[in-house]
Amino acid sequence: MRGLCFSLLAAAVALAAAPRAAAQKTLLVITADQTDYVLAAGGAVAAMMAQGATGYLIRVTNDEKDSWDLAPEETARRARMESEEAARILGFREVISLGYRAGELGGVSPTELRDRLMFYIRLHRPEVLFIPNPYAHYVEVLDRFYAGQAAEEARRAAALENFQPPFAIAGLKPHLVPELYYYAQPVDPRRREPEGPATFVPQPKVVDITPMIERKLRAAKALRTANYSLAMRIRQRLEETGRRLPLLETVNEAAVEKLVEINVRKLGEIGAQGTRFKYAEEFHYAGPEYRIPKSYRD
Amino acid sequence: MRSLALLALLALEAAAAPLPAVKMPSGRLFMVIQPHHDDHTTDYGFGGLIARLVDEGWRGVYIRASNDEKDGAHGYALNDQINLKECLEACRILGIERVHSLNWRNDYMDPIPTQELRAQLILLIRLYRPDLVLGHDPWGHYDRNPDHRKVAWAMAEAVWMAGYAGVHPEHLAAGLKPHRVPYLFLKARVDYGRGHEPNVVVELNESQIARKQKAYSAHRNVYASPAMARAIRKQLAAEGLFVPELEGLNDQQAAVLIEEWYMEWISRKRGEENGLRYGEVYWFRDEFDHLPGLKDYLRENAVQP
Ligand SMILES: [Zn+2]
Repeated sequence: MRGLCFSLLAAAVALAAAPRAAAQKTLLVITADQTDYVLAAGGAVAAMMAQGATGYLIRVTNDEKDSWDLAPEETARRARMESEEAARILGFREVISLGYRAGELGGVSPTELRDRLMFYIRLHRPEVLFIPNPYAHYVEVLDRFYAGQAAEEARRAAALENFQPPFAIAGLKPHLVPELYYYAQPVDPRRREPEGPATFVPQPKVVDITPMIERKLRAAKALRTANYSLAMRIRQRLEETGRRLPLLETVNEAAVEKLVEINVRKLGEIGAQGTRFKYAEEFHYAGPEYRIPKSYRD
Repeated sequence: MRSLALLALLALEAAAAPLPAVKMPSGRLFMVIQPHHDDHTTDYGFGGLIARLVDEGWRGVYIRASNDEKDGAHGYALNDQINLKECLEACRILGIERVHSLNWRNDYMDPIPTQELRAQLILLIRLYRPDLVLGHDPWGHYDRNPDHRKVAWAMAEAVWMAGYAGVHPEHLAAGLKPHRVPYLFLKARVDYGRGHEPNVVVELNESQIARKQKAYSAHRNVYASPAMARAIRKQLAAEGLFVPELEGLNDQQAAVLIEEWYMEWISRKRGEENGLRYGEVYWFRDEFDHLPGLKDYLRENAVQP
């Protein structure tokens, strides 16, 4: 037991201390559930990895409820496989599944979640972090709010030496992530408004994903269990109200994939509104201009 | 008093573009999910909307999450009883058929587990299968009332999670079926700052305003109380003023009249701001608004067989 602990620790220390070429960026993406980051940020993260960044994905929940007529255990098993496939398509090196029960993050200690995320930030020492935007209004899945809030705190805590002393003892030294992207699917009507000057709050940022749209689409299609669930829910709602959708007359793989394609392309078009891009994604971004004196920041 | 303060605040508001009139959703049953005895009747919603829904053939259920023990001057136990009685009377005036009280401790809802409250709401949603839920906007800023926040957050998840079979499967064992609530009307105090973004105006007629006024003034323990009228008359007298319409009325009658004026005024103001005689403004969430990439496609391609 002690031997195992020791080798794990040694591996952590080695990883934390591994030198990296200056040009090679590390990217860490935190998502509450398997679909959210793919739909809101899949193109932007794929582009970074296509340019050479090493990507790690943290899935906070197990997605156990997002299925149609499947038990939670089977849903969680499929979601894990399918989310790993989607992440592979986008270019991630590794998917870290924390395994919290989907829909139940509101009952998880925010500090526990923060510290687990902070552990991975110190371990992988990313230059770029993508997190769910906890300030995006009218987001229906509140796991995204809870995960986003914990992730935002984790970024701060990861940089401060007095958080979780055992991490530093184990070799996981403080690390400040210089670039931070907040993502959300476009439901907040005021998402394009800056809430203040760039020095003090992250700013709206639109990223062109036109060259990555096919890759994003393939990743979204890989989430088969969640996509089938979405299609069946839409069909059920329409049937209950005396309507039908010709596309979903028969809910087979081709129909579900077509629905996903319509969704992904339209989201890209919404993101690109008001720009010269064909497809884009919208973020709130804290980059080099987001600088305030340490005495204020801490 | 409150009217004057609010009037001053509203005068500071920039003239905004008129909101579109809501296309009323179709359905048969609405559920009001609120913490308090009076939340369905206040100046910023839902009295007029409820009256209109009932006029259009909807049936209504009210879920009152707290026990309202702090609201009023009679001590906890009596406040609970009086406020519930007045809540039932206001619901009767508006045409709501049933009231269920969850009886969580008023103003002490912050520490209760959100998931426990959410589970109660999911059960009631699956039981009643509402087409429409009316509640506080969970995204509204500066609502310092812990009960409003708590109930809004529990409601925000309950309305869609009730549609997933893997959520509380014990309900299914009892014969209930999953049910997602397709439509939401959300409100927040518009003088509380950003966060809440009304996106529709609901047009109201005179008869609906009359019921809104009566339902609000039914809350005599906290709103239309004789003490309120006494305080206003005292202040007016100190300034050498009097209101002819209040002469000859006792304090209780005067209080009811003042509150009814207030409800008429705010409804007229909200209407006029949006090109109508009377109105109320809300954040309305349509059936597929949670799917921003698909809602246009579904609206354009779903057909009646
Ligand atoms: Zn209230």
